[in-house]
Amino acid sequence: MLSINNLCASVEDKDILKGLSLDIKPGEVHAIMGPNGAGKSTLGSVLAGREAFSVTDGSVAFADKDLLELDVEERAREGLFLAFQYPVEIPGVSNMEFLKASVDAVRKHQGKPELSSVEFMKLARETSKKVKLDQAFLKRGVNEGFSGGEKKRNEILQMMLLEPKLCILDETDSGLDIDALQTVADGVNAMRSAERSFIVVTHYQRLLDYIVPDFVHVLADGKIVKSGDKSLAKELEAKGYSWLEGEVA
Amino acid sequence: MGDLQTAALKLAETQSAPAWLDAVRRRGAERFAATPWPNRRTENWKYTSLAGLAKKELRLPEVQPVSVPEKDLIALDAYKLVFVNGVLDQAQSDSLPDAVATFASVNEQQIELVQSRLGALADSSQHLFAALSEAASTEGVVVHVTAGQKLDKPLYVVNYSSGEAAQLIATRVLVVLGVGAEAEIIEQFISSDAQQANLVAAQTEIFLADNASVQHYRLNLEQEGITHAGGVFVELGRDANFDGFAIAKGGELIRNDYVLEHCGPGAHVELQGVYMPRGQQVVDYHTNIKHRVAHCTSNEVFRGIIGDRAKAVFNGRIHIFEDAQKTLAELSNKNLLTSNRAEIDTKPELEIYADDVKCAHGATVAQLDDEALYYLQTRGVSKEQAKVMMSFGFINELIQTIKNEAVMNYLLPILAEQFGRENELLQLEAESFDEL
Amino acid sequence: MSEQVEHLIRKEYAAGFHTAIDTDTLPPGLNEEVVRFISAKKNEPEWLLEWRLQAFRAWQEMEEPEWAHVDYPKVDYQAISYFSSPKSMEDKPKSLDEVDPKLLETYEKLGIPLHEQEMLAGVAMDVVFDSVSVVTTFREKLEEAGVLFCSISEAVEKYPELVKQHLGSVVPQKDNYFAALNSAVFSDGSFVYIPKGVRCPMELSTYFRINEQNTGQFERTLIVAEEGAYVSYLEGCTAPMRDENQLHAAVVELVAKDNAEIKYSTVQNWYPGDENGKGGIYNFVTKRGVCHTRAKISWTQVETGSAVTWKYPSCVLRGDHSVGEFYSVALTNNYQQADTGTKMIHIGKNTRSTIISKGISAGKSQNCYRGLVRMNPGAEGARNYTQCDSLLIGDRCGAHTFPYIESKNPSAVIEHEATTSKVSDDQMFLCQQRGLDAEKAVSMIVNGFCREVFKELPMEFAVEAGKLLEVSLEGSVG
Ligand SMILES: Nc1ncnc2c1ncn2[C@@H]1O[C@H](COP(=O)(O)OP(=O)(O)OP(=O)(O)O)[C@@H](O)[C@H]1O
Ligand SMILES: [Mg+2]
Repeated sequence: MLSINNLCASVEDKDILKGLSLDIKPGEVHAIMGPNGAGKSTLGSVLAGREAFSVTDGSVAFADKDLLELDVEERAREGLFLAFQYPVEIPGVSNMEFLKASVDAVRKHQGKPELSSVEFMKLARETSKKVKLDQAFLKRGVNEGFSGGEKKRNEILQMMLLEPKLCILDETDSGLDIDALQTVADGVNAMRSAERSFIVVTHYQRLLDYIVPDFVHVLADGKIVKSGDKSLAKELEAKGYSWLEGEVA
Repeated sequence: MGDLQTAALKLAETQSAPAWLDAVRRRGAERFAATPWPNRRTENWKYTSLAGLAKKELRLPEVQPVSVPEKDLIALDAYKLVFVNGVLDQAQSDSLPDAVATFASVNEQQIELVQSRLGALADSSQHLFAALSEAASTEGVVVHVTAGQKLDKPLYVVNYSSGEAAQLIATRVLVVLGVGAEAEIIEQFISSDAQQANLVAAQTEIFLADNASVQHYRLNLEQEGITHAGGVFVELGRDANFDGFAIAKGGELIRNDYVLEHCGPGAHVELQGVYMPRGQQVVDYHTNIKHRVAHCTSNEVFRGIIGDRAKAVFNGRIHIFEDAQKTLAELSNKNLLTSNRAEIDTKPELEIYADDVKCAHGATVAQLDDEALYYLQTRGVSKEQAKVMMSFGFINELIQTIKNEAVMNYLLPILAEQFGRENELLQLEAESFDEL
Repeated sequence: MSEQVEHLIRKEYAAGFHTAIDTDTLPPGLNEEVVRFISAKKNEPEWLLEWRLQAFRAWQEMEEPEWAHVDYPKVDYQAISYFSSPKSMEDKPKSLDEVDPKLLETYEKLGIPLHEQEMLAGVAMDVVFDSVSVVTTFREKLEEAGVLFCSISEAVEKYPELVKQHLGSVVPQKDNYFAALNSAVFSDGSFVYIPKGVRCPMELSTYFRINEQNTGQFERTLIVAEEGAYVSYLEGCTAPMRDENQLHAAVVELVAKDNAEIKYSTVQNWYPGDENGKGGIYNFVTKRGVCHTRAKISWTQVETGSAVTWKYPSCVLRGDHSVGEFYSVALTNNYQQADTGTKMIHIGKNTRSTIISKGISAGKSQNCYRGLVRMNPGAEGARNYTQCDSLLIGDRCGAHTFPYIESKNPSAVIEHEATTSKVSDDQMFLCQQRGLDAEKAVSMIVNGFCREVFKELPMEFAVEAGKLLEVSLEGSVG
């Protein structure tokens, strides 16, 4: 599904990712943890193709394609989805319009028939119910004036509508209360399948009780410094990251 | 005196008008003749050239039996008045309630009202085109809602320009609301086609007595050929409320002067506007909110998108007089240029003579937000489409504040078309959300 | 605010004395003869006389501008003397020892000792008294570094090519009414030349003093920083207290070549007139700089003096990546009027400009910010940020903001914000409750309001500027 090899990336001439490698097979859930500023979000941005970040070395293959060759929207259409740590507000552009444009673009690329407006409307409403997002949010501007939790649920809503192959969730759990966390996790779990993979970036073991990962990685100073199974997360929660310092160097 | 001034005055002399308008017409003619033709050094016209207008060969309105296409009209439950080239078309207009009359149907009392109030706010010694509109005044609307009354339906005034000739249109709207009275006024300006080249010098005056309240729309939806040089002049009494919305798509020149005066404490002005000239169109808004007394508030927001070789001018002044303590006034003007040859000239101004006030203004000229563009792209939307969506959104944010839904629903597809956005979803949204 | 505060001590305008000194003063009046006289007096070459005459003829055709938000009786240009020089300066003193002690005393009294050992270390100074430059200090030290710093008259004699090349290159003779007048009759001023790659080893400074009655001061300053050069320059000004208004119409031209940087600071304290609005200087000044590629010009001004100020230090950002800055504090009290601001003309790609303007109005004064930000079609990626804040003290003054924003480039970004506020009763109460008297409280609040600008001033002058504000505000609380 995704094969990252010795990825190096920088932003504003500052090196952030320093030779990161990671292999993800279809159906797997990988959790990535690590201290603040380690480069977790940077990894998401680089995979999504954000312009400000430049790849200085390494390669990324995604579903047999050279990911780094693709534009931002091409990656999305190929099935890569990034749930933002800080979802962006776009005042004046209605959420509904945004979702429709996005779903249309992705479906078209994948050769699926376009949904009629009525079909889409139905789908959007049903899905928003699943993530417990009030219908009124569909009519408001994208994330405009949404609370933190509402923004995160809106991200999950988008993920469910787009049915991507690879979902990168960047701290989708941060700042959520237990109920909201449950909702988000239910959404993710409902989407787990043998063909779909997840990268779950989080600081909290709590989330991993709901979304049980196949692997847990520690990202520190731009590299994966340790990998293990779900027990690693528990260990990290108990001990913090400092005991890994030797491995960082 | 410029050539156009001479020509326009000659035309006015040959017009037939009600005798009771004579004094107003004479005053207007004198002042129009006495006002120097603006040039680049005239501060109020610094960025807007009248050269194109000066070349027009103006005619008197031609009376034609043209009906306004249904699709151009707003689906409103309202008292509709249709003026074709400034001439009232009875057939297309509704019968009027007592509170409303046209110059052709005024009673004694309304004549008196017009004679005493017309030009009291639209000062023809200060505003060139207010003078012209007095000089050439023949037709107009008077609204007089007495104390405590409410105009039961909006008044919807359609100004339709059609025909080959460049005609001089000088319709007036005079609104007088008594203490606590309420009304909603929708003024719409449209033209038959891109070649239609009228000069529309339509002036609107609104007197709000204490606690009176008006919702006002001025929709400049004319096409390329039109020169519009109009104004909206409002006086607010104690606790009065003006809620205004302005839109201008563009024309050869669409110029509107808004002058709003707070004359009683506790009054509030809310003014929102959008403009989006394309091609070689020019839009020019000059607004001036005068706080003459204490404890009044005003909030003004204008946004524009300027494309192709078009140009927009925005001049927003807040003037706080010596006695206007405890004023709260804010003005914001945001602009997007979408082409290398587009131009924006904006000048937010504060003139303040009282210390205990909170005033702020901001103006920006910027590009679409990169962050939001990226977000849209990560959802598979192409950059081009993302730009369209965001441009629409930029304007739509203000459209969404429109209180009259019929007006909003009328404007949305026009905007969608303007920005090349699919419009099907929009309609669906409007319909199916009602049931949500 | 309490009644008695209003009557708090009103300190005199400290620089308001007059030096009784024999002068050579041209009788009032302006005609071609006067222009020729000034030029001859200064032994100017033919080209410069011709240049002046061109300006004079243009000026005669021009009209005094009326667009500014200021109101003053028409200046009678025939009632002014266009040249005045202390007699003792006739034979051009070679060193400080030969300068008339009375002159030196004048500057002592102003707190500006001219003996190098007594001066602020690291500041070289050119001192202009009415129409002539009295002395320029630290010349040798500067010459070692290759820096030329002298009066403009001297520069015309010694470095005619440099002057000829740059004079009028930024502010053409006919630029505006006052610039044309200045070009015709400019008397003295400073000349600075920093050669390629040189970082000027010390702050340069000019002190302008109007002394004689019924004279105008028309100084001209020209600063040229060659590629990669750096200089920080400061000017200060005072004048005696008189009941008549006096005219000051200066021109300042800055040329910053590729990668050069010029920092130009002004502390303007011309006599502002008395508390009834009688007397004071009319300060009509044209200041402009041109930035070439990656060059930077930074204007900082603290304007507390003058009866009427009309002044817009500007940057023409011609070169790609060049930077313009304008930091201003303009304080008006009593009947003072200021119409001041800046123009940032973005021509090159990725040019940047920042405008921070703080206007403080007190008494019955009028304080107006007027600025222009223009993005030309070629100003790809250019940026401007403008912040204009006004503070009102008392309810009989005015604070106005007139920003002109013009853009013809879709990639240019302009942000403009303006606010007004007053010294609130709450703030005053807090300060007073903490034991500060009203005047101190106001000056503290005002100083805080101006901090962003003061931090741009050279250190020594930032302190001066703070004090100056305090003095200028005296009697404003009531
Ligand atoms: N646009 C940017 N410009 C400059 N530096 C950036 C930018 N984005 C990220 N960085 C820097 O890159 C480093 C890695 O940031 P990143 O956001 O990837 O960390 P993170 O692991 O996601 O941290 P957190 O757990 O706090 O979310 C940080 O030092 C950050 O300051
Ligand atoms: Mg992060």
